[in-house]
Amino acid sequence: MAPIQYLKKHAQENFIIASLVLLILFFGIASDNFFSVITFTTILNQLPALTTVTVGMTLVLIIAGIDLSVGSILGFSAAVVGIAAVGWGLPLPVACLLGLGAGILCGSVNGVLVAYFSLPSFIVTLGMLEMARGLAYMTTASQTVYIGADIQKIALPLPGLGVSAALIFSLLLVVVAQFILKRTVFGRYITAIGTNDQAARMSGIDSRPYKLLVLTISGALAGLGGIFNAAYLGSADPNAGIGLELSAIAAAVIGGTSLMGGRGSIIGAFAGVLIIVILQNGLAQIGVSEPAKRLITGAVIIIAVLIDRWRAQHEPA
Amino acid sequence: MQQARLSIDGLCKSFSVPVLKNVKLSILPGEIHAIIGENGAGKSTLVNILAGLLEKNSGDIEIDGVPYIPENPTDGFVAGISCASQELSIIGTLSVAENIALRNLPHVKSIILQDKIDQQAVELLRLVGLDHIAPGVLASTLSLADRQLLELSKALASDCRLLILDEPTAALTGPQADRLHEIIADISAKGTSVIYISHRLEDVRKVSDTVSVLRDGMVVASVATNSLTVPDMIEHMMGKSKPGGQQAPAAVQNKISLLRVQELSSKELPYPISFDCHAGEIIGIAGLAGSGRSELLQTLFGLLPSTGGRVSRCQKDGQVTIKSARQAVKLGIGFLTEDRKMTGIYSGQSVLANMMLPGISRVASSVGVINRALEKARGTALVNRLAIKCSGVDQHIEKLSGGNQQKALIARWMNCESDIFLLDEPSRGVDVGTKDLIYRLLFEMQAQGKAVLLASSEIEELMTVCNRILVLSDRKLVKVFERGKWTEMDILSAAFQEYTTKTTV
Repeated sequence: MAPIQYLKKHAQENFIIASLVLLILFFGIASDNFFSVITFTTILNQLPALTTVTVGMTLVLIIAGIDLSVGSILGFSAAVVGIAAVGWGLPLPVACLLGLGAGILCGSVNGVLVAYFSLPSFIVTLGMLEMARGLAYMTTASQTVYIGADIQKIALPLPGLGVSAALIFSLLLVVVAQFILKRTVFGRYITAIGTNDQAARMSGIDSRPYKLLVLTISGALAGLGGIFNAAYLGSADPNAGIGLELSAIAAAVIGGTSLMGGRGSIIGAFAGVLIIVILQNGLAQIGVSEPAKRLITGAVIIIAVLIDRWRAQHEPA
Repeated sequence: MQQARLSIDGLCKSFSVPVLKNVKLSILPGEIHAIIGENGAGKSTLVNILAGLLEKNSGDIEIDGVPYIPENPTDGFVAGISCASQELSIIGTLSVAENIALRNLPHVKSIILQDKIDQQAVELLRLVGLDHIAPGVLASTLSLADRQLLELSKALASDCRLLILDEPTAALTGPQADRLHEIIADISAKGTSVIYISHRLEDVRKVSDTVSVLRDGMVVASVATNSLTVPDMIEHMMGKSKPGGQQAPAAVQNKISLLRVQELSSKELPYPISFDCHAGEIIGIAGLAGSGRSELLQTLFGLLPSTGGRVSRCQKDGQVTIKSARQAVKLGIGFLTEDRKMTGIYSGQSVLANMMLPGISRVASSVGVINRALEKARGTALVNRLAIKCSGVDQHIEKLSGGNQQKALIARWMNCESDIFLLDEPSRGVDVGTKDLIYRLLFEMQAQGKAVLLASSEIEELMTVCNRILVLSDRKLVKVFERGKWTEMDILSAAFQEYTTKTTV
C-alpha cells in the first residue's frame, strides 16, 4: 500500500497521534521541567486504571450502549480487594481475584438487564453507579483500608524493565482489544449491532449475548482498574474512581468513538487517554489553576468531537 | 357549471422514476370521490402532495378556484384540507381530547383551556360514534379500530372543506365500517368533499359518488361509481397486460422439498398456512399492502414467533424445525428485508463489511480471527459478479445507489452460500437495469437448485419470474396458482377476495 493511502486509511488515528505529539511539544517548550522523570512517572502511574476502564467503555460505546457505572465498580472492586486481603486475611492473589469477580458481577448484572430486559444502558448503569458506590462504602465502612506494600508491586516499576506490571498489562490489553475489535468475528458483530441493531436481527444475529458479554467485559475491566488503583495507592479507597466514567467516555470520544455506536477504535481511545492525562499534568506544570484546568479539558473534549464530526462529513469515501 | 372544490391539472411528481404523470382530477363540493389503484399506482404520493407533505414537480392544484401550493402540512390545514391517513398520527401519550385538538389547542396567553378541549372532544367523539370514550383517557389505551375513528374525529376538528381518508376501514369490522360510511355521507351532505381511498372495492361502491382509477401514476378512468362493477374496477386498475419479461423460470425438475411449511400460524397470520418449497423453484407471494406478505417471510425466517404449526428445513438426513433466525441462517436460509435503509444496510460501514457480515465466519479461523485477504478477495469477487457500482469495497454503503445497495444485500447471502432465499420486495426502488440483473440472479439460483420465495407488490413481476404464486388476502393464504394457470385478473381478484366478501356480510 502506498504510504499516502495508508495515512488516509488511518486518518482517524493519525490525527489524534499528531495532536498528541503537538501537545507534548507544547508543554515541553512552555514548561521547564515537563520533560523530567517525575512528570513521566506521574503520567505513567495514572495510565493503567484509566486505560483499562476506557477499553471497556469503548467497546460498550461501539455496541451503541454506555456504561456510567465503571467508576463506582472500580471503587467497589478496590474495596473488595482491601477487605478480602486485610479484613478476611486472604492471600493477596485471591483478594485480587475477588475484586475482579466483583467487577464481573456488576457488569453482568448490567448486561442481563440491558440485553434480556431491554432496558436502556444509560438507566441501568446509572443505577449501578449508585449501587456499586454504596457497596464500596458498605464493604469498607467508608474507611480507607491500608493494604500494604505487597500490592504496590503491581504498580511499581519492574526491575530491569522500568515500567510496572499494571502498565504492561494495560498496554497489552489495548493491543489485544484493538485486534479483537478489528480482526475477529466478535468485533465485526459488535460493530454491526452497534451500527444497526435491526439490520443485524434481520440477518439472523441475536444481539443479546453480545450486549451481555460487552457489558460484562466492561465491568471486569473496571474491576481490574480497581486492583490497579489499590496497587497504586497501596490501599483501598472507597471513593476511588468517582467521575472516572466521564474521563473514560471523554477519552473514547476524543479517540473518534461515536456515541451513536458502530464506530470506534481502541488505539484511538488510548490516545485519548494519553491526551487527557498529559493535558492534566502539563497544565498543572505550567501553573494553570484547577478551575482553569477543568475549563480547558472540557473545551478540548468538545473541540475534538467537532473536528471529528467535520472530518467524517468531508471524507471522500 | 359548479365551481370545483378541488381541481388538479397536469400534476407530475418523480422520485428517481415518475410516480405521478399528468394527473387530472376534479372534485365537486359535497362529492365523495374514491381513488383506487394497485400498490404503487401513486395514491399515497397524491395524498401526500395534497396534505403538504411532499412537493409536486409541476402542475396546478386549485381549491375553490384559488391556487393551492402547500409547502408544509400547516398550509394544507389552513386551506381546509384534513387528512386521516393510513399511518395513524395519534399520539399515544396525550389524551383523546388533546389529540383531537392538537392542531389548534384553544388557549389564552399560552395557557391551555382544558375544559374547552374536552367539550369540543365530546361533540366530535359523538359524531364518529365514540360516545363511550371519555375525552380524558390516554389515546394509547384505545383499540386500533377506535384509534382509526379518533383519527377521523381529529380530521373533523377543523372546519374542513376537503377530507382525505386513506384506507379508513382497514382496521374496522363490518358494522363499524357501515357506521363510518354513514358519518361520511353526513359530512358530505353538509358540503365537505371527501377523497376516499380504499382497497375494499365493495366499500368504494357503497359509499362513493365518483371513482378515479390510478394506474402507473396516471388517472385512467374517472367515472360515476354506479356505472362500474367490482370486476370493472379491477380491470381498470390492471390495464391491458404489457408484454411479459424476456425470460421465464425453468420448470421444477424433481420435487425435492427444501422447506416445508405445515399449518403455520401466528399473531400476524391467524389462518394456518401450508406449502412446500422445492429445489429449483421460485415461489411468489402476492397480496395487497397489509395482507401479510412480509409477515409470512419474517415468520419463516424465525424473526416473528409462530403460534402454531412449524417450518422445517428438509435435508438429506431428515427435517429440522426452524426456531430462530440464527438457526435459519445456519440451515442455509437467507432473508432480504423490504426496508433496505432502516433494517438492511449498516450505514457508515464499508460495502465489504456489509456484504460479509452474516457469513463472516466463513472467512475466519476456527477461533474467529478474520483472514482479511480472503475476506477482501471474496468481497471483490461478489462486487464483480453482481456488477455492484462502487469506488471500491471500502466505500461506505450509504453512498451507493439503492440498486447497488440492494445487490450488496443479496451478496450477503451468496457469501453464506444459502440454499433458500426469502426476498421481500427485492426490486423495490431499483432501476430497470438492476431489476433485470436481480431477475437473472433468481434464474441462476434456480438453475443451481436453490429455492426462492419472493414477496412483491408487483403482480407483473411475480408473473414474470415465478413457478408458483401464493396469494395472501387479509393475512390469509387464499389461493395458489401454478405457472401457466393464472391471469393477472385471477391473481388480483384473489388478492381482493377477503376484503370484498367481508364487508358485504
